[in-house]
Amino acid sequence: MKRRDFLKTSVVAGAALSINFEGLQAALSSNTMTVQQAPEMVAVMGGEPAAMLDKALEALGGIDKYIKKGQKVVIKPNIGWDRSPELAGNTNPELIKALVKKCLDAGAQKVTVFDHTCDNWQKCYESSGIATATKEAGGIIMPANEEKYFKKVALPNGVILKSAMIHESLIEADAWINVPILKNHGGAKLSCAMKNYMGIVWDRRFFHQNDLQQCIADICTWEKKPVLNIVDAYRMMHQNGPQGKSLADVATIKSLIVSPNIVAIDTAALGMFNQVKKLDMDAVGHLSKGEAHKLGSTDLKKINIKRIKI
Amino acid sequence: MKRTNYLKGLRVILAILFFVPILLYFVDFRGLAPDMFNKLLHIQIVPALISGTIAIWIFQFLLALLFGRIYCSVICPAGILQDIINRIFCIGKKKKKGSSRFVYHKPHNILRYGLMAVTFLLFIWGSSELLLALDPYSNFGRIATNLFRPVAIWGNNLLAEILAKVDNYTLFHMSVQTVTTGAGIAAGLALLVFIGMVLFRGRLFCNTLCPVGALLSLVSRYSLFRVVIDKDKCIGCGLCEKTCKAEAISTKEFHVDSSRCVDCFNCVSSCKKDSIHYRFAPFNRKAKTKEVIEPAAHSRRQFLATGTIVASSLPLMSIYARRNRQRHGNGNTNPITPPGSHNLEQFKDKCTGCHICVAKCPSQVLYPAGMEFGFGYFLKPHMSYINSYCNYECTICADVCPNHALDLKGVEEKVTTQVGVAEFFINRCIVKTENTDCGACSEHCPTQAVHMVPYKDTTLTIPQVEPQLCIGCGGCESICPVRPKRAIIVKANTEHAYVEKPKEEEVLDIVIDDFGF
Repeated sequence: MKRRDFLKTSVVAGAALSINFEGLQAALSSNTMTVQQAPEMVAVMGGEPAAMLDKALEALGGIDKYIKKGQKVVIKPNIGWDRSPELAGNTNPELIKALVKKCLDAGAQKVTVFDHTCDNWQKCYESSGIATATKEAGGIIMPANEEKYFKKVALPNGVILKSAMIHESLIEADAWINVPILKNHGGAKLSCAMKNYMGIVWDRRFFHQNDLQQCIADICTWEKKPVLNIVDAYRMMHQNGPQGKSLADVATIKSLIVSPNIVAIDTAALGMFNQVKKLDMDAVGHLSKGEAHKLGSTDLKKINIKRIKI
Repeated sequence: MKRTNYLKGLRVILAILFFVPILLYFVDFRGLAPDMFNKLLHIQIVPALISGTIAIWIFQFLLALLFGRIYCSVICPAGILQDIINRIFCIGKKKKKGSSRFVYHKPHNILRYGLMAVTFLLFIWGSSELLLALDPYSNFGRIATNLFRPVAIWGNNLLAEILAKVDNYTLFHMSVQTVTTGAGIAAGLALLVFIGMVLFRGRLFCNTLCPVGALLSLVSRYSLFRVVIDKDKCIGCGLCEKTCKAEAISTKEFHVDSSRCVDCFNCVSSCKKDSIHYRFAPFNRKAKTKEVIEPAAHSRRQFLATGTIVASSLPLMSIYARRNRQRHGNGNTNPITPPGSHNLEQFKDKCTGCHICVAKCPSQVLYPAGMEFGFGYFLKPHMSYINSYCNYECTICADVCPNHALDLKGVEEKVTTQVGVAEFFINRCIVKTENTDCGACSEHCPTQAVHMVPYKDTTLTIPQVEPQLCIGCGGCESICPVRPKRAIIVKANTEHAYVEKPKEEEVLDIVIDDFGF
């Protein structure tokens, strides 16, 4: 072998060694071939929360794409109300349980779950089933009942909201997942991924005093974005939200939507909501305001969506 | 030879068995103390008197008749608190300055029986202020709730801070909200009175100011078991007299005043000659010697004096009581009384301000009143929706109230009891003044008595109140962002009303099989 050939070969070999085979490995292990790019949004319908989460994450390329080994992960469900899971005031506990497990399996150093509740926080954590679900899955359930758990951050891109007190677990987190439940809302009209941000802040009064819809869009401009938004629409409160009165407010539509694109996911969720109750996109002001902040698009045609029915 | 005496040890153990659970029950800010500790509040004499629990009356009467004022040394938390104060004071002191510092004093019969009569008569006429001020149990409750509890919470917060560093949130930070100025001062003063009286005169409170002590003394005078001095063995050394916290032992007369004796048995332990005993000794009055005939006459005179004073003050008292009622019935601002109180006047009559409801309220919505609702409501709890509101299905305040001043027949009654009605001031509402969405009030309304309706020709919605659905829980008021005056405020019902439970809507079977996007 000539010296030049040898050098050529070694360069090629070296280059080959540094090639990432993750895609191939994933394809081999799941025995499927990713023909096109992974979708930006996955919607699943017809299964139990944990099964739908499995399908959705699989379609997106696995949780490992979003949660890396050793990361401090925060999951932010909606635990606003002292309500049992059937009444759909809070995110489904089974979904949280499955998600905490997935994050830990992906090698997360720890998974913390919290919400700044509206009702008495201990009652909310308990009645929602989320405290138990989190603990069973090996996660940490953290209080958010006192101002001392919150730290001030700047929101340079906010139109009205220029800074906010945000829960310390999120400030310290390496990655966080926003897990709202889809529901009707008396003030914001729709409560979904963007509205769920209100549970990460301490001073919500400011929001209500200073154009609620704009402040919701503004808080979503915080530089640390969730790696995923997972909309729980297993049970959906279609009226009397966000607290609800009875089972008559709830429709069991067994759905789940997952996407990193927060405006798109809320737009999609609104579409789903509209099949049960009429709600104009204009009324949900924070959507267009979020789009103006370049947080995502309300035009779902531009987005690669995968729809799965179980 | 001195026999070992178990009585004092037994008394101390029993006292601990009563006191510790009661203290824990008040201080417990996490709701961890078992519910059965609550029973220990129900056997307290004033709560039993007010709630009309006749079984407890009979039990307490028989207990006093058989064994004397066991209540004061074992059951009454204020009595045991005084013993603890005394014990702490004695630490590191020589006997003479510590545990054996007392001397015999004559009873202050005019004071104690006069005060007792005035207290109970005023109460019967519907003025519970004096009872509230003097009831030992309620005073203890206020001290525990407003002084001890905050200290425990601060301790908890320190520990929570440390644990949080290792991601342990079994303890969490809590804030002390419900200690009002009035309650803090009242509790502090009561504690100072206890400390002062204990340091100088032992159980003086129990034998002068305490209406329960005075009431029990009427029975314990005739108690079957009592402390008696064996005149033949006694050498008159005075050791027993010096250890008597009630200052009820006169060595000179070889007599123990069983109307003031609180059955602490310190005297029995102190005697080196085994000449003072607690035993079956019915009708053991003072020996009828020459010396004591005079005091006997004296006590009759005292009784007459007491009677005369009380009798002559009756008209004054009744006028005061009546005026007191009228004044507050017509007051401009009325307190929102907790659910289960039924109406303001009845609640004022029955509540002695022990603050157990304040301590136990998980929403911290109950605050002890200062003078804002007049003297008649001083230290009684009212609902304040500044930071919090009453949890829809919670009945804890009524569950724990030993006086039955709060009385609910289950959750059903709670969710239909209207303690007040939300009043909406549209001209202050954000939706009108700022033309932006808000809806915080409606969000928090558990019955949707406050609901959102279309506003003008916009996508905005504005609150509307359905008074017949409102239970006055304060969810709306507590969250309304408008300042300084909120746009929705709950106005008290002096007489609680009862509303229909929100109608159960039909559960529709909604099926969708499309994503909709």
